[in-house]
Formats: sequence, C-alpha cells, structure tokens
Amino acid sequence: MTLSRREMLKAQAAGIAALAANMSGPAEAQPVTGGVDALQIKWSKAPCRFCGTGCGVMVGVKEGKVIATHGDMKAEVNRGLNCVKGYFLSKIMYGEDRLTQPLLRKKNGVYAKDGEFTPVSWDEAFDTMAAKAKQVLKDKGPTALGMFGSGQWTIWEGYTATKLMRAGFRSNNLDPNARHCMASAAYAFMRTFGMDEPMGCYDDFEHADAFVLWGSNMAEMHPILWTRVADRRLGHPHVKVAVLSTFTNRSADLADIPIVFKPGTDLAILNYIANHIITTGRVNQDFVGKHTSFVKGATEIGYGLRPDDPRELKAKKAADPGATTPIDFAAYAAFVKDYTLDKVSALTGVEPGFLEQLAELYADPKRKVVSFWTMGFNQHVRGVWANQLVYNLHLLTGKISEPGNSPFSLTGQPSACGTAREVGTFAHRLPADMTVVNPEHRKHAEEIWRVPAGIIPEKPGYHAVEQDRMLKDGKLNFYWIQVNNNLQAAPNSTGETYPGYRNPENFIVVSDAYPTVTAMAADLILPAAMWVEKEGGYGNAERRTHFWHQLVKAPGEARSDLWQMMEFSKRFTTDETWPAAILDANPNYRGKTLFEVLFKNGHVDRFGLSEIDPGYENAESREFGFYVQKGLFEEYASFGRGHGHDLAPFDTYHEVRGLRWPVVNGKETLWRFREGLDPYVKPGAGVEFYGNKDGRARIIAVPYEPPAESPDEDYDLWLVTGRVLEHWHSGSMTMRVPELYKAFPGARCFMNPEDARKRGLNQGAEIRVISRRGEMRTRIETRGRNRMPPGVVFVPWFDASQLINKTTLDATDPISKQTDFKKCAVKIVPVSA
Amino acid sequence: MANRHDLDRRSFLTGRVVAPVVHISSAVVSAFPARCAELVERLSALPGTEVHRVENGKIVIVMEAGSSGELGSRLAGIALMDGVLSANMVFEQIDSLDDRGAET
Repeated sequence: MTLSRREMLKAQAAGIAALAANMSGPAEAQPVTGGVDALQIKWSKAPCRFCGTGCGVMVGVKEGKVIATHGDMKAEVNRGLNCVKGYFLSKIMYGEDRLTQPLLRKKNGVYAKDGEFTPVSWDEAFDTMAAKAKQVLKDKGPTALGMFGSGQWTIWEGYTATKLMRAGFRSNNLDPNARHCMASAAYAFMRTFGMDEPMGCYDDFEHADAFVLWGSNMAEMHPILWTRVADRRLGHPHVKVAVLSTFTNRSADLADIPIVFKPGTDLAILNYIANHIITTGRVNQDFVGKHTSFVKGATEIGYGLRPDDPRELKAKKAADPGATTPIDFAAYAAFVKDYTLDKVSALTGVEPGFLEQLAELYADPKRKVVSFWTMGFNQHVRGVWANQLVYNLHLLTGKISEPGNSPFSLTGQPSACGTAREVGTFAHRLPADMTVVNPEHRKHAEEIWRVPAGIIPEKPGYHAVEQDRMLKDGKLNFYWIQVNNNLQAAPNSTGETYPGYRNPENFIVVSDAYPTVTAMAADLILPAAMWVEKEGGYGNAERRTHFWHQLVKAPGEARSDLWQMMEFSKRFTTDETWPAAILDANPNYRGKTLFEVLFKNGHVDRFGLSEIDPGYENAESREFGFYVQKGLFEEYASFGRGHGHDLAPFDTYHEVRGLRWPVVNGKETLWRFREGLDPYVKPGAGVEFYGNKDGRARIIAVPYEPPAESPDEDYDLWLVTGRVLEHWHSGSMTMRVPELYKAFPGARCFMNPEDARKRGLNQGAEIRVISRRGEMRTRIETRGRNRMPPGVVFVPWFDASQLINKTTLDATDPISKQTDFKKCAVKIVPVSA
Repeated sequence: MANRHDLDRRSFLTGRVVAPVVHISSAVVSAFPARCAELVERLSALPGTEVHRVENGKIVIVMEAGSSGELGSRLAGIALMDGVLSANMVFEQIDSLDDRGAET
C-alpha cells in the first residue's frame, strides 16, 4: 500500500518536527515534491523581528510579498522551532493601516501644532523638519535637540543615529527604548566585569543542572528558550528549576522550587543566599582569591524621580548613586550576615524551606547553575544592584564562564544588545563599551569617524525618562522618535510624557510603520520601512550578530530609518552645526553637508553597488550610490576589532546563521573570560575578567532597600505591568495580526479572587485602576494564566486602548535610569462606583 | 484544466487565481511525561489535529486547516492549555486540495 500524498506530507511534517525535537528513530524528513515548492516561493533567511532570543526564520516571498515564514532548521538558536508570535511574522507588515506617506500637521496649508495630519512629500516633510531643527539649534544650541531610538533599530541604523547626533548635531541627547528594558543589566555588566553582555550563551542550557528564573516569565516571553530549558529538565531528572516572581505565572508550571515573594524583596533573598554560601563553607576560595575583589556600594541612593520630589531630597546619596568603596571578604561576609533565613523569610513572605532549597542550588559545588532574568530585575529601582547581587552568587562559587554555569541576562528586543548597547546609542555611550565622558574614547571615536577633534560633546545627554521631563519643561524642543512607541511605553505618561509631546514649544517627529499612539501625538509622521523591507543586522542576547537581505519593497513612500537619517543629514552644513573655532582650525570641513562629512566621506562610501548580492534589492544603496550597510558596518566594526568585541567581515554574516562575538580568526566565542574558550584570556590565567584592568570581577555589598512607592491605606495594591504570550511589547505589530488580536484582544487586570470578592467584584467586572498619577478602565480577570497573590495585580501594557502607563510611577534605578514598571501603588474600584 | 481551479473571467482578468489549499503543519508540544497521556487525548480531540509521536515529554502533532491563521490560532490555544509547558510550530506545507485523488 502506498501512502496518499496528504499522508506523505503529514508524515514528512511530523518527521521534521521529531528531528527538531531531537527525538530518536527514523527521520522521515525527505522533502516531498510539490507543496510549497510548486507555489514558486523564494526562501531567504532572517532573524525574527520580535524578542531578543534571535530565532532564525526562513522567509518565503512570492510576487513581491512575504507570504510565509517558518523556523530555520539551520539556526542553532531555535533549530526549526517557531513560537506563536514568530509563526505570524509574515503578517506584521501587512496591517490595513500601514503608513505609506509622510503626514504633517497643517492648518491653512502650513504647518501648525494644532493642525490636522495632512499628506506631504518627503521634501516638504524634511524641509519643515530641518527648518525647525535649525531654529532650535540657533536659539538654544544642540542640547535642545534629541532623539529616541530603539533596540529594534538595525545595527547600521543605530550606528548612523549615534554618529549623526553626536558628531553631526553635537548632541548626546540620544537614548534608546532599551533604557526602559536593559539599562540596569548593561550598567551591572560594566560595574562588575568592565564589559557589557553575557559571558555565556544558549549552549549553557544543555549543560546546566539547575535553572533559576529571577523575575522572568520565559514560558510566555521567551518560548523558544523556555522549550530548551524544559527539554533539559524533562530529559534529565536531576535538573531542578526554581522560578521566582511576584505572582504565579506559566513558568511556574515547570518549577521544582516555586517562589512568590513580596515586590522588591528579591534583594534580600540574594543576600541571604550569599550568606548561606559563606556560612556553610561553600565559597570557592581559590576562585574568589584569584579572580574577584570586593566593594561596598553607596546606599540611600533615591529613586530617580524629579530632584524636587521629597523622596529624592531625603536620599543621602542621590547625587552619586554609583559610588563604591573597596572592602575585603571579611567585611563583605559581615555585611551579608544580617540576611538570615528567618529574617528574610519574614520580609519576603517565602517559606524558609523553599529559600534553603534555592540557596543550595547555588551553594552545592556539584551543581551547575544558569540564572535568568529579564524585566523583573531590570525594571527595578534597585535593578543594577539586583543584577550585581546575582553575579555575587556566581562569583562566590566560581560558577561562571564555563558550560552550564552562567548568569544570563535575557533581552526583550531583537537588537537590544547588537544595536542599543554594542553600537552605543545610550546618552553616555559610544561604540564598543566606550563612553562620551572619557576624553580618550571621544578622541578615538572622532578619529574613526574622521571628524575634527572636539566635535563629540563630553556631557552625557538626557536619558529616556529625563527626555520626557525636559520636553515637558521646554528644554528639549526638537525630538525625533524612531522604531518605538514611547507614549505607550513610558511611565506616568499622562503626567510626564504626553504634555511634552504637545508642548507648543516642541516639534515632535515620529518614524513608524503604523499610526501608534506615539505617532498620533506627533507633529510629523514619517512612514518607515520595516524588517525585511530593508537590509538589516541584529544582535541577540547571546552576542550573536546576524544579518538579512532586503526581501520585499516597502509600501508606498515608506522608507527605512537609515534612509531617513542619511537623507535628512543632507539638509545641514557643518557651518550650521559645528562651532566656528573648530571649523577655523579645520577649514577643509567648511561648507560641507553632514551627509558629506559623515557618510559620503571617502570611507563609509568605499564599497560599490557591485558588491551587493545580485539576488536581492537594496533600496538605500541604490539611492545613495554605494553599499551603505557594508560601509557603515565595516567602520563600526573597526571600533571593536582587537578590543574584545571583534566582529567578522560584513559578507560573512550574510552566509551564516549568526556568529557570537568576539569572532577571532574566523571563530566565534561561546564562553568569555576562561582560558581555552576565549582567545583574549592570557595563557596561564585560567580565568581573566579582562574588561577590568586588574582582571578581577567585583563582588558588591549592597542592602535591601524598599521600593519608591508601596501600597498604603489609600492605594492598597501593588501594580505590576508586563506582557503576554500573544503580544509583543506595545502590540503595534501583533495587534495587527488578526489571529493574535483575537487570541488576546484587550488588556485585563489579573487579580486574586479573594481580593476581588472583598471589593464586590466578579470575574469580568469593569473596573478603574487608579494611582496617584492617573487611571485606566479595564476588566477583572481572576482566572486565566496568572494566579495573583493577595495584594498584587498585574496588567499587561500591549493594549493601545487601555494605557496602563497612565498610572505607573516614573521612578527609576538611580544608577541605570531604568524605570521600575513592576512596583507602584494603585486602588481598584468598580466603574459603577 | 482551467475549471480545475474554478477559474472564472473575473479572476482571470484580475490575476487572482487561487486554488483551494490545505495547510499542513507540524508542532512540538512539551509537557511533563506524567501529563502526556491526558494531553494526547485532548490534542487528538482538536479539529484537524493528529498526534504522531510521543517521547519523553515531547508530543509531535500535525495540524491541518484551510489557512495558516487557523493553524496559528490553534497553536496559541495549545500553548496555553493546562499542563502544556510549551508549544512551537515546526514545518508547514501548503498543498492543493485537488490532489486528494492521488490515493491508492
């Protein structure tokens, strides 16, 4: 009997799935002729557009349209798997309300802040924008000019932004939305290791004996990585999983040690574990002696609120929150001695037995541990501390920089690492971990950028939350937002964000693919090309740089952010943006456009169009006459080569499924800082944290300090915001995929059933979530995927029709300036009341 | 052969010649081995869904539907089922419905 064609196709699909799932047995993965091939689809590789996992997908194009995607079997990250969001990638570019032409607010035919959005040409858009920028530069200087970018920018878009803003306009008011997302992680890496980004990689998962999730709901937010964790746990019975959160989420289903703690008290748990390691004699003395040093951090450092807030006035060290002083092991041990099991159990509300089991995962020298964290740690008024306290545990035990022992900071955006961090789009950063405050670093950047000495300003610019405050206060007046939806994402948006956008003194430009709430609050909207409508490069959470080709044309007049910035730069000359003294000393730069000095400068434009793969389009390069992406990437890569951030040659990335930097002699690096695994470690050193001059990582003594705002009689509940499986961040893409929209169409307030009953609220009841800042209407969810403890509610922020950030508090970690979206006080009342 | 795709004058002129298709996709579902038997029953009860293999906490399913949207929605539902740790799509084939006759 022969199988029917349909049965053959099904057997083939099952066989490939079994292969992807690493199952044994015969692989029936031989392609069946016909099927998709017969539909004449051209398949090309690309990284997924959503989270920081960096899955590889194959993108199918037919007749100029992306019609299908599937997990890439050759991609090491996901090995052919595709999560629910990733499955719908092919639909994100085809929402009905896609922006296809520039829209300017106009009244009586001219720009007016209170005008209606009117279609205009790119020329009119840029002319209006340039006139506004020039006026602001003339009146107030470069500090009144700002840009808010993204961890979704491609590598060369972020690089162009940092170059244009710092060297072109001489403003450091450039910050990415990664400030809301990864800043605490990045600062902690720098403070501990002197170098950003994880030392390990996803290969750690298959070597670990324990996984600890510190404020990360991987089951919903990183489903592919969670599948790899689940595979390890299910395939190896000795493996343990601990899940720590402020409520029970779907990740807890896999937990051997489920821990729900009171918001903010994770700091105390971390210090308790350190104390446990020390008092039970399980410190790895050899490792600690050779590879670490100890410091004490400044305390009472405030909450990053406006300086006149009483909480800031009361904070003794708000002016210098990052200060540290050297101590020794004995002083550190004495410091954590206060964090006893009884005391910490009482503070956190966690059973002592669970705390001990958790501590033993770290203390047991035979157990390899991977720690994961995302927003629970990073969006935390003590987020930098939380990150550093978990490094303490890995350093005290020497469980770091080797397969299976890995403190691993996960990311939420596809290029939070590759663009926002590595390229240096933060207000204080330059490429390859350098900063604007360091004169040597500025000089080095000016040389590579081929601009005169003294061009890059030394003072860090406004960070994300400060940008909103300065827009509101009228100190930041020209503001360009690309690839993010900050009016939906930013904290205390009614109080601090929206007023700045609509401040009559300000001109707000938003580049986006869709009319987000941020775009609708702008003065000028620029239609953006997205994802495979342009050639791109992203860097994922494990230092993997990966590229894709332009596969389709952008609709209408939509153009890439890269094109927008480069084209805009043609409208300015150095005489308009650089000081006369610098031009007097460097007369050969006089009268040139910023486009000529930054891009068409004989260096960035050195690769011709003939180097572009003839099989693919490249809209920007065709227009500018040179291989733009390659020129920008190769210049950017020269920052890091030979300095521990080595990237492979540009063309290599179009061939491979990504490579983890440093890429030395063609070889990627899976684990950094350990001899034999990392070529930068000196022979004989064993382990070397070479980001720090002394080669040692810092162990820090910092205490538990309470959140900025806790529930009280008037506002009696903790509000935690976050995400759901079906939607990515502000939902501007996933809410436009009909199936994902239907799967979770509107935000809900997840609440403990007893809390709801006490307030007379039934499942589904319409309520108001009210804080001291604002309020939002939604409905009660007492069932469903999240089980809330008494006193804590959870509201996801993907829904543009229910903006939970009207209620959140703009308190940040004072060191990283990252907002705490996980802890503020609200009350809940029925709508009828 | 033209009427095989119900080709009419309008679709001929607009170039919109769409043959009826079926989407066939495989997915891997992870669950604790102790929950697998119960889940296999629930998954098999879903429309157009067959369980092909079960091994050590992994269930390979093959789903059929008229569109990828239907398949994705079904996957989202499975990913959030009680007892499911994760559910991810793997391989999709789109096939013409007209080839059904090729059985023996």
